[in-house]
Amino acid sequence: MNMDEIMDEEEEEFEFSRNYFLAKEHGSSSAKKSTNKLTDINLVDEQELREASLHIQPKHEKEIACLMDSYKNMYPEWVLALRSGFSLLMYGFGSKKVLLEDFASTALTEYSVVVINGYLQTINLKQVLITLAELLHGQVKAKRKASSRDLPKSQQPSISQSIEDLLTFLDEAEIEEDGYVICVIIHNIDGPGLRDFETQQYLARLAACTHICIVASIDHVNAPLYWDKNMAHTQFNWCWYHVPTFAPYKVEGMFYPLILAHGGANQNVKTATIVLQSLTPNAQSVFKVLAEHQLSHPEEGDDLYSVCRERFLVSSQVTLNSHLTEFKDHELVKIKRDSDGQDCLHIPLAAEALQKVLLEIS
Amino acid sequence: MVPNLLKKFKYSSIDKCITNSSSYANQDISDIAVFYQLQMSNFPCFICNSPFFVLHKPSSRRKDRSSTGQGKLRKRNELSSPQNTKKQEGSVNEECDHHLFKPLQIEAFNSVWSRIESTIKDVLRDLNSSAFKDIQLWILECFNAARLHGEPNITEATRSFPILSNATPGQLSTALVITRNIEFVDDILTFEELGHFLKSHGCHVAKLSSVDFSMKNGIAGCLKALLREFPLGEIDSADISILASWYREQDNNNKPLVLIISDLERCCGSVLTEFVLMLSEWVVKLPVILIIGVATTVDALRNALPSRALQCLCSSKFMIGTPDERMDTIVEAVLVKHSTTFNIGHKVALFLRNYFINQDGTLTSFIRALKLACLLHFSMEPVSLIHGLMLAEDQKDWISALSPEILLKYMDEFPSYDRSQIANQAGKSIAQGLSDLMTEKRLWSTAVLCLCEAGKYSKVRLLDLFCEVLNPDLYPHRDSVCHIRNEKDQGLSSTNGHSQQYSSVQTGGLIRQIVRKVRDLPTGALGQLIKSWEKLTADISEIHDKLKTFQSSVRCEDRRSPRKSSKDISKRYGSKASLDTDNESTMLNLQAVAFIDCLVRNYMRPIECMPFHEISCFKNVEKLQVVLIGDPRRRIQADLLDSHKILSCGCCNKTGNALLPSRQDSSILYSLAQEHGDLINLHDWFQSFRTILHQTNKRKPKSKQSPQPKKRKDTAGSGDQNEASIQARFCRAVTEMQITGLLRMPSKRRPDFVQRVAFGL
Repeated sequence: MNMDEIMDEEEEEFEFSRNYFLAKEHGSSSAKKSTNKLTDINLVDEQELREASLHIQPKHEKEIACLMDSYKNMYPEWVLALRSGFSLLMYGFGSKKVLLEDFASTALTEYSVVVINGYLQTINLKQVLITLAELLHGQVKAKRKASSRDLPKSQQPSISQSIEDLLTFLDEAEIEEDGYVICVIIHNIDGPGLRDFETQQYLARLAACTHICIVASIDHVNAPLYWDKNMAHTQFNWCWYHVPTFAPYKVEGMFYPLILAHGGANQNVKTATIVLQSLTPNAQSVFKVLAEHQLSHPEEGDDLYSVCRERFLVSSQVTLNSHLTEFKDHELVKIKRDSDGQDCLHIPLAAEALQKVLLEIS
Repeated sequence: MVPNLLKKFKYSSIDKCITNSSSYANQDISDIAVFYQLQMSNFPCFICNSPFFVLHKPSSRRKDRSSTGQGKLRKRNELSSPQNTKKQEGSVNEECDHHLFKPLQIEAFNSVWSRIESTIKDVLRDLNSSAFKDIQLWILECFNAARLHGEPNITEATRSFPILSNATPGQLSTALVITRNIEFVDDILTFEELGHFLKSHGCHVAKLSSVDFSMKNGIAGCLKALLREFPLGEIDSADISILASWYREQDNNNKPLVLIISDLERCCGSVLTEFVLMLSEWVVKLPVILIIGVATTVDALRNALPSRALQCLCSSKFMIGTPDERMDTIVEAVLVKHSTTFNIGHKVALFLRNYFINQDGTLTSFIRALKLACLLHFSMEPVSLIHGLMLAEDQKDWISALSPEILLKYMDEFPSYDRSQIANQAGKSIAQGLSDLMTEKRLWSTAVLCLCEAGKYSKVRLLDLFCEVLNPDLYPHRDSVCHIRNEKDQGLSSTNGHSQQYSSVQTGGLIRQIVRKVRDLPTGALGQLIKSWEKLTADISEIHDKLKTFQSSVRCEDRRSPRKSSKDISKRYGSKASLDTDNESTMLNLQAVAFIDCLVRNYMRPIECMPFHEISCFKNVEKLQVVLIGDPRRRIQADLLDSHKILSCGCCNKTGNALLPSRQDSSILYSLAQEHGDLINLHDWFQSFRTILHQTNKRKPKSKQSPQPKKRKDTAGSGDQNEASIQARFCRAVTEMQITGLLRMPSKRRPDFVQRVAFGL
């Protein structure tokens, strides 16, 4: 290899590690310096924030439209790659949902197209496979009718078939015209619902089926780590296309909590109230006892059970514990160790917020 | 109201999947509330919320091949809404032009690639054939030995439990096939071939891989996979006895039963142990012969299995070729011998070589890269279709699609066409040019093969040599290898730029290295080399005659009138020659060197320097690299940092790289993140984001110069709104960065910090 190239590569790697350590160093020093809290920002009410986030003025709409349009010239190349047995993998910043679906509905009209929304939390892959098998089965049937020949009946795809059988069907179904393919568009093949290794393996096997071709998009920078060489090079057989769109991740970001709404005191009051209101009055009262105690004696613990028993809120330690478990599950209450080393119950809310909660539930 | 909402959405079908999600079960209550509110706002959007849906079914026109273009056009117009039909018309027509070529391109690609693919398959099969034959013989031996050992009688064989006696130790014949290949992906193909080979030689073959030996599915999963490999019909339970009785029935037991496990190292040891123990118990009824692929050494088996399982295996060792050997054979067969089919330019060759040696190391990727290069060639180079024409059997379609006018138009754009014109070939017809190209390539490949044969003595790998002979930069200066060598000997090369470049590929340059070796080659080896040259050049009379001439000139006793070239050489190596005065073997060596010199000078013009090479030579290395190896980590970050360049908008490009509020929010935020260390204080980050955004608010009134009281009141009134919108934009940008995986969200321990994940491009 050319010495310059070796030097370049080494330099590149060195640059990368240097960046990492510089950032680490810088981070540790600045982390000490900056103790600013998120709560110091005058956070707007969550409802308002949510409202505002729905009405964010999009930037560069014209340029984005131009960019999307420029990718149209690549459609023939993409189709050619698909027809030659490659899968397409689109990456680059910005939502690629519109681009992929536009590509499918302009350039892939010859194929059946099934879209998988990988950005959703859960996807039932078996259902997808059944749908694909049904489409193929329908085609086989139509073909047979047209040629009016008796061929051995193949099994109608159904829920009782295993994923293996479905994949075998998609791979081996006998269709005289071998051009018949179903194109599967997977938005965010790196999405939360498809992230586990098993699903990725099934998808890879699906991609390797004769009658399937895949067009997928990724957004996560480390997405290629999901695939080993067999999956990436043989089964998926990716052609990479860098297509940044800068279109907002509207649907893809739907399930992510807003960072500034997450930690706000108001939000905590609201959510705590929601949970408390769904509990029994007795449980609410136990919480009240705990809260009042925390407000009046911030540094001390007390015997909660005896107080609650005196007020006829609980009849036994077991009942109290079940209430407490519920509180803990919803993170209304946490266990803290006090100065004597004893475990104490603690409500993770500021005094002001706690008072608001008490007001709300009473 | 909210609890009601909770109830309502709990049962809605769309959310069912999400409420079941365990990740949300453990989340903060706030997240859940947020989630439900989100759901409410997005509920009508079915397409976005449904996990999958059928976008469309194929258009009915597709069967009619001849009217593909029209069919598509109609369908497209149906799809497009009336408002934008007009707008799309132009692009549709344009697309039609593309479509005109598409079927031809695909056909051309298929015809070329299927040739290459079958060549590769044949080559690999030949390479493995001796090992495969050995394995097959061994299987027969094992099978016969097992038969001699005595078949179980009817009562024994139909028992539902295994036969075990002290007389039968229950050993499984096992072949360990050492692949010497860390990457298992290449071996998948090898074992598939082995399976086909054994099937064609009368064996029952089942193939299992490490996926079947997983801890999760255990022995049952592995048995199921095994049973699926045989035509047993519907099976309710995974039981080895089903297979045993199948093997006993009909005439199945006349054939050996071979089970291939392709990748030992990746199998789960405990499941494999259990499987081996079970097979050994059944060995009498079901004499399975195991073939196990081992990537590392025989020790791997000892590491994977405990001694009680090892005892059950009676193993033999087989070797197959290393990736390097396979690579050289493929390069030889595909890129050198069949150079008339498809070629790659020097840069592409260099890239593929470096990718193979430094990064990937698998043949699979190399072949894949070659396929992609071939595809890109046909999709990007319109003239590549001529190539299809030359190779296609039915040329009518092609001729009608490519009229002479179109061809001429493209040809004129060839840089190499101009060059050939300069070389006084203007009068030649295209057909003549193409036929010359083919002849020249044939000569080229023979010359390279001869050189490669000589290179074997100095252990030069064909892939390296291939890269060197393709280099067009070296060509003008490669007039005579001996000449270059001479200059070097005299110490002139230090001032000679070309020589330096020449030696940059490998120390001393591979061709020179080969020449040096041939010069010192002992007579026996030289004789062999010349014989192999004779064989290689047998069909190419032009080179063969040259070789004969050289040989005869050695035999010729009259040394006073040697050929000019040999005179040259004897002069150049005068000092060396004088040491071994009148030594015939030295003379022969010199003649061999002269032959190489002649090859290099006359026949090894790099493909990129041949006229019309564009038809079959792919050179666009940048494109290949981008499509072959995506680089999301770098490119997505670059997108964010250079959004203004990619969008090429007027507003953000004004002040170079300075952060302007008009930039995309996520781009601003990510650029700001670069100023932080690995931890980013959310508060600080937000404040700097706000500062950047406020730049507009400050600027705008100044430029307008109309700070009327009424307007000011408006802006003051919308202060809160602005704040909310800035916070919302911040949130959106952070979420987008979270989706790209560039940030780790605040943890319980560090609620005010996000963590950067990527550092530097």
